[in-house]
Amino acid sequence: MTMPARPQRNWPLWIGVIAFLVAMTVWSAYGIGFSLVEILCNIAGGTRLLEESWPPDFGFLPRLAEPMLETVFIAIIGTVVGGILAIPMAVLAARNLSPDKFTWFADRNFMNILRTLPDLFWAMLFATAVGFGPVAGALALTVFTVAVISKLWSESLESIDMGLPEAIRAVGGNWFQMIQFGAIPQAMQHYVSYALYAFELNIRASVVLGLVGAGGIGMILETQRANFEYERVTMIILAVLVAVLVIEEISESIRKRLT
Amino acid sequence: MSNNLSHAELLKRPGNRIGFGTIATFVIAALFFVSLFAIGFTPERMLEVPGGVAEVLSFFWPADMAYGWERVLPAIIESIQIAWIGTIIAAILSLPLALFGARTLFPRLARVVKLISATARAFPEILLAIYFVPIVGLGAFAGALAIGISSVGMLTKLGAEVVDSLDFGTVEAVEAAGGSRILALRWAVLPAVLPEIIAHWLFRFELNIRASAVLGVVGAGGVGGVLLNTLRYRHFDKAAAVLILTILVVLAIDTVSGEIRRKIIRG
Repeated sequence: MTMPARPQRNWPLWIGVIAFLVAMTVWSAYGIGFSLVEILCNIAGGTRLLEESWPPDFGFLPRLAEPMLETVFIAIIGTVVGGILAIPMAVLAARNLSPDKFTWFADRNFMNILRTLPDLFWAMLFATAVGFGPVAGALALTVFTVAVISKLWSESLESIDMGLPEAIRAVGGNWFQMIQFGAIPQAMQHYVSYALYAFELNIRASVVLGLVGAGGIGMILETQRANFEYERVTMIILAVLVAVLVIEEISESIRKRLT
Repeated sequence: MSNNLSHAELLKRPGNRIGFGTIATFVIAALFFVSLFAIGFTPERMLEVPGGVAEVLSFFWPADMAYGWERVLPAIIESIQIAWIGTIIAAILSLPLALFGARTLFPRLARVVKLISATARAFPEILLAIYFVPIVGLGAFAGALAIGISSVGMLTKLGAEVVDSLDFGTVEAVEAAGGSRILALRWAVLPAVLPEIIAHWLFRFELNIRASAVLGVVGAGGVGGVLLNTLRYRHFDKAAAVLILTILVVLAIDTVSGEIRRKIIRG
């Protein structure tokens, strides 16, 4: 019996890849000052912090209700406005639906650039432009939501069955009618589930917006952190975790029912 | 079969009754307006927005690129290093967890692992960093730890899903030939799932670059602190340099990483 040939490895490629990974890791570790000595020296301070941060200050809980609600409001505004704006952006970024190559190219790359900046960068920019507070947070999440939904949904739109839109064009429908009746209904379920996903992301994001002064529960977190009131920080983080998990559970059950 | 529907009835549009969609739209609209009112986003406030944005933007140009090369680029490199170490930590921790979290391999253990990963996922990195900064000291290392721990959750979940979707023929073949569970993992499961899991690692690295960019806000290193400071002192030309360089670097890394991911998945 002859054995089948052993699969040959491309050794030069393997060695190259592994050398790159190791070099990158060593360089990064050196760059960020990864040192066990430092951890061991600091561990005493760390345990003191952990002792201070437990038990959480439950007396602080009532004061969290209002900012937590504000956090949810910011996320709702960001998701609704961003979700609506994302519809045209996604249609124009879908290769099969975009009216011409130039629009497609411009929109797609504009969205790619929007997506490179993290949500907190937008929050910092809007907080500078329109002043500290929840309005800046809502605007930041709007931009972030447009970027997230338009990216995901334009991919769904690219995978629809083009027979229906073509039929509408063939019987004399214009471009808008083709999009409205031929394309969007096919991808509507994806849109709803992406919008809910964006809402979940926004709830998480809106929690930390306050760290840069853009409203919500993060603003309280920032003041308590700056004053080293760690038993209150723990309380805030616990409250945030519970709220995030509950909202995600609701959102996920809606998403499951829709699909 | 009755066929006495009139023409008008046949042509009636199906969407014209009050259904779930209509109710949902009204609920969302109501929530939206309540939210606008609650945070004080009045029409006058909305009219101020374009002016404020335009004013800030007008100070952005010309960007202070000298500051960019001198101060911003090192901070961006530090962000990349934070993201890299964080991803490596998460990859090493999540690989065994992903295998143990697979329902098909370890039905009972999987439930515990899923619970752990769900909890880890619930923490935004920046909240973890708030704890790590006092523990390991101000700086990039705290950021890398925060990124690592919070990535473990998502990578474990995605990895376990990859293993769950695996065809179990090869596992059974190894066991039928007398191999143990561990041998089956090594020779049947790992080679099949690794390409997809590595693609998830790369994707998480792309996400972590963005996450590490904001960690500077709480003093955990990287470019976020630089942006916060330039905006705080209203040095908009310097802030513009931060934005331009961040966009360019992140775009470059996304492109390269996306290309590698596609290559790996195609095999």
